[in-house]
Amino acid sequence: MKTKKINFGYKYGFSVKNKNVFTAGKGLSEEKVRMISHMKQEPEWMLNKRLQAYHFFQKEKMPSWGADLSKINFDDITYFIRSTDKQVNSWDDLPKEIKDTYDRIGVPEAEKKFLSGVSAQYESEVIYEKVQETLVKQGVIFCDMDTALKKYPEIVGEYFGTLIPYSDNKFAALNTSVWSGGSFVYIPKNVKVALPLQAYFRMNAQAFGQFERTLIIAETGSSVHYIEGCTAPIYARDSLHSAVVEIFVKEGARVRYTTVQNWSKNVYNLVTKRARADKNAVVEWIDCNLGSQITMKYPAVYLMGDGARGEVLSIAFAGSGQHQDAGAKMIHFAPNTSSRIVSKSISKEGGRASYRGLIQVMPQATNSSVFVSCDALLLDETSRSDTYPTMRIKNNESIVQHEATVEKIGEEKLLYLMARGLSRIDAETAFVNGFIEPVVKEIPLEYSVELNRLIRLEMEGSVG
Amino acid sequence: MKTTFIQIARENSYLVIDTPGKYVVFFSNISGTVSCRIAAEHVELYLVGLYDMKKNEKYSIRTEQIHVAPCSFSDLYILSVADNSSSLNFSGLIRIEKKAQQSHAYQKNQNLILSPSAFVSSSPILEILADDVFCTHGSTSGPISKPQLSYLQMRGLSLQEATTLSVAGFKQLVYDRLEKLKSTSYKIHTCSTLKK
Repeated sequence: MKTKKINFGYKYGFSVKNKNVFTAGKGLSEEKVRMISHMKQEPEWMLNKRLQAYHFFQKEKMPSWGADLSKINFDDITYFIRSTDKQVNSWDDLPKEIKDTYDRIGVPEAEKKFLSGVSAQYESEVIYEKVQETLVKQGVIFCDMDTALKKYPEIVGEYFGTLIPYSDNKFAALNTSVWSGGSFVYIPKNVKVALPLQAYFRMNAQAFGQFERTLIIAETGSSVHYIEGCTAPIYARDSLHSAVVEIFVKEGARVRYTTVQNWSKNVYNLVTKRARADKNAVVEWIDCNLGSQITMKYPAVYLMGDGARGEVLSIAFAGSGQHQDAGAKMIHFAPNTSSRIVSKSISKEGGRASYRGLIQVMPQATNSSVFVSCDALLLDETSRSDTYPTMRIKNNESIVQHEATVEKIGEEKLLYLMARGLSRIDAETAFVNGFIEPVVKEIPLEYSVELNRLIRLEMEGSVG
Repeated sequence: MKTTFIQIARENSYLVIDTPGKYVVFFSNISGTVSCRIAAEHVELYLVGLYDMKKNEKYSIRTEQIHVAPCSFSDLYILSVADNSSSLNFSGLIRIEKKAQQSHAYQKNQNLILSPSAFVSSSPILEILADDVFCTHGSTSGPISKPQLSYLQMRGLSLQEATTLSVAGFKQLVYDRLEKLKSTSYKIHTCSTLKK
């Protein structure tokens, strides 16, 4: 089988020339945490939070389960870099292959230039300002976290670290102590934001930070769709990426959070994501993990209010040298809550894709329902697929279902398609795209088109 | 070829199956580990477990279906009925080693939770290192279905009688399965295109 050609490889990644004005140097110390806070002119309480988190990080052990993290050297990482406000890369300087990849994936012109670091670029700023204008009219706040802490300290202070305290895990503590950048989104009561909010519209700050911190608050009856990441590969110089995302969804509100992660293959991507759903609220995580060396990410929903609903749809792709340890957590605290997890994973060329999930139904969560489905596709004999679900049921009026399958691309299915005139590559592409389709159809059109084209491109094995 | 029946009555049993044939392993209300290492081709292994738990009985069971040889078959079926403040902690591993191509491994766990203070934890685990295999697992937990109880009540049974009958029917699934395993003969698995 010529399946070796599917590859979401880093070969199209690129580095943006960095004109740093300040770097804290390698390693972490209390002094450095103080300095980060001082440079950002933060309030006293934030500094204290950072310090508490730093001390917890120092004494907390590494997780004893999941992916192999023994190679992380915490002393060899730069924890804080302040970049120049405007990057001065030129579109013309980019290697031809990257421009060609963008062309063939069909990334829009403005986005191409943004991705390539040409951030002072005219069209994008126009789009950004237009988006901001409509949002401001509705009372929506959409800015980076550093700005939010300066302009809206009372809102940030009320929610920051309440859903994911620094003591949650070692990497949440690390993030809390050195966080920088990330998005802040506040949607007022009954406001429905029609346009998806995308991190790359936020031009005033780096979109893809190393220790980004995102906070989304959706007030009663509101709705919003937030998108982070992109299909095109993103090069990261530092090998550790550890973000924290907290989402508060009030009564009857709806939040959808879409991630398309395609970090270069030197990155450890260790992310803590959690949402709280109040009465009749809906939270949907759509999570696509294509890049990075090791990803450990389990988006969680705490179903706190009667009738709340949580959903996680995820795709994991593990190629050579990659370990995608992704999954979901659903904790049912209230009656009549429901949750659904659909996970699709693909492993090839020695890659390892794992699903790790936790379902917990608390005694008071009567009449709740849980549905989990994990499908894995193995493309060759060197790859590996794991499923580690845990279901804890403490209630006798709830229904919990879990199912998982592991298989390879059926030779007979390929033959069927080939007998109808498709080439082998076309048939395999159709099969892989069909396999992930239930999740891809939930992603905004332009992303899903890009994703399908990327798979097609990789199947052909030739770019540019 | 004959069928080998094995009933496990004590904690922590480690079985190594190195002769082709059909094996049925049965256990009921025990804690510990039941580990099966399938080290021969053409093995057909059935693991059947029944947990009927009352009062404050607590069980913690770990099962392992480890395929190290190609072309074998294993199937785990565990049912539990959790009443009063009993609890079951089930963790089941299917592991297919690289060499164990063309293995089929299945796992099914169904839990009936009858009381608000009963607790069931289910963790069916898959670790698949070979690609030419077929593995599935499924787990369900919940109360007796309401329509089923209503159906029986409409036919004149009291709620208590309907519940008792439903629970008995649920447990019968295990006995029926054992009965069926006894009568059906060993099916020889064909491995035609084993990769070198």
